[in-house]
Amino acid sequence: MVPVSIQVRQALSKLVLPVLLLMSVGIIIAGQADRPLADKARMRVADVLAPLWSLLSRTQTDSERFVHGIQEARNLAEENHRLSAENANLRRWYEVAVSLARENDTLKTELHWVPEPTPAFVTGRVVADSGGIYARAVLLVAGTTSGVQVGNIALASSGLAGRVTEVGAHAARILLITDIASRLPVELESSHAAAIMVGDNSPLPRLLYYSQDTRPIEGERVVTSDQAGAFPSGIPIGSVHYLHPGQPVVQPFARLDRLTMLRVFDFGQSEIEPPEAPGHVPLTRPHRALTLPFKTLLGPGQEG
Amino acid sequence: MSDPHQPRWEHDTETQLTSRQRLDRTARHLLPSVFTALVIIFFSAPLTVPGAAELLPAIVINTIFFWSVWRPSGMPSLAVFLLGLFMDLVGFTPLGVSAFILLLVHGIGSYARFGLMRMNFLVVWCLFGLVGAAAAALQWALACLFRLHLLDPAPAFFEALLCIGVYPLLSATFSWFLHILDEKDTP
Repeated sequence: MVPVSIQVRQALSKLVLPVLLLMSVGIIIAGQADRPLADKARMRVADVLAPLWSLLSRTQTDSERFVHGIQEARNLAEENHRLSAENANLRRWYEVAVSLARENDTLKTELHWVPEPTPAFVTGRVVADSGGIYARAVLLVAGTTSGVQVGNIALASSGLAGRVTEVGAHAARILLITDIASRLPVELESSHAAAIMVGDNSPLPRLLYYSQDTRPIEGERVVTSDQAGAFPSGIPIGSVHYLHPGQPVVQPFARLDRLTMLRVFDFGQSEIEPPEAPGHVPLTRPHRALTLPFKTLLGPGQEG
Repeated sequence: MSDPHQPRWEHDTETQLTSRQRLDRTARHLLPSVFTALVIIFFSAPLTVPGAAELLPAIVINTIFFWSVWRPSGMPSLAVFLLGLFMDLVGFTPLGVSAFILLLVHGIGSYARFGLMRMNFLVVWCLFGLVGAAAAALQWALACLFRLHLLDPAPAFFEALLCIGVYPLLSATFSWFLHILDEKDTP
């Protein structure tokens, strides 16, 4: 050490604090002037300290897990008791369900119930549709080669999404229920009243033409109706919500703004044909030749 | 004839003893700074401690003030400067601001130490409260100055309150620690 006198040493020790203060002011100014350098220094320090920090945070998570484990162990007996009680309850319900299923089978046999056909479906990936005549429509990568036909029904994971309107060999365009061209017969689930769901290009299609004595109730489920023969009944669509008094809309269950996959169902609905009745004029379908309605009234040999 | 190895051996033991003493003294002098550095590392870690951002400067200001008043040899100006710089590098304050503020606190503490040491604990606490509040206010003012934008003063208030509230606890701990050190020193 350099031998210095006591006076010089005292003077130096008195100088240290002001010098350091000046240095810190200098660092403040330098840090403001050259920000990238300051950030680099900061990152260097953080790099050095990162293992320590990760050790600390891992210790914390470990201890939290440990404490949580102890708490869980304390609740174990109680949880076990609750679960066994619930298990007994569920077993009772299982017995009830089995007996109900058996009774249902018996009743169907008694009634000579015609079983509903299980619908065939294909699943496709949705690609965005920018063209086309509809504002709210998506393109699905599944076409006639996969068995998709016009009029089939597209379901998202949680509810109805739309209908197939055009179909190519490898792609199908699906008109969503929110499009302005979409008008579907629906049924209000609690009152079984019929209504029409009309899209208006907004995310919430409107409910129209419901009967005035059975108004839609807020929160009521809306399902498809088989009125026009286009849909099987009972496919969930959404729930009723009132934007304004007297203006019910449907909040669709399906998240129509972010569809990724759709299942296209063929319910075989077009094959349901009403039996011919005298005096009944059948609706013309474009793909079927028009049959003369009154041909049974004509005598044999007079037709054609 | 005396053993030629005898003096050297005696000499060796003597240096060993002094080096141990020196080590002991160095450790004792470094202890507050090391404690503060560990506190800074601990509170800058991504832990879910509520109010960690305000608690860290409060604890650091408390520690520096206490040691500046009661044992300045344990908290030299250079250590305060380096700790402040470390805090700036680890945290998000502009570089050098914490160093400046901590040096000011240290300067006030060591300047007024002979007056403060004779006072009642409550009076010292009140005076420290003023210093802590001033430090928090200065930090807030400097942050506003560098952002050129009036920031929300609520965190600064919170920091000042924490600073004042933590003092008795830390002061008691450090006093107890000093007591133990002195007891070890006397025999």
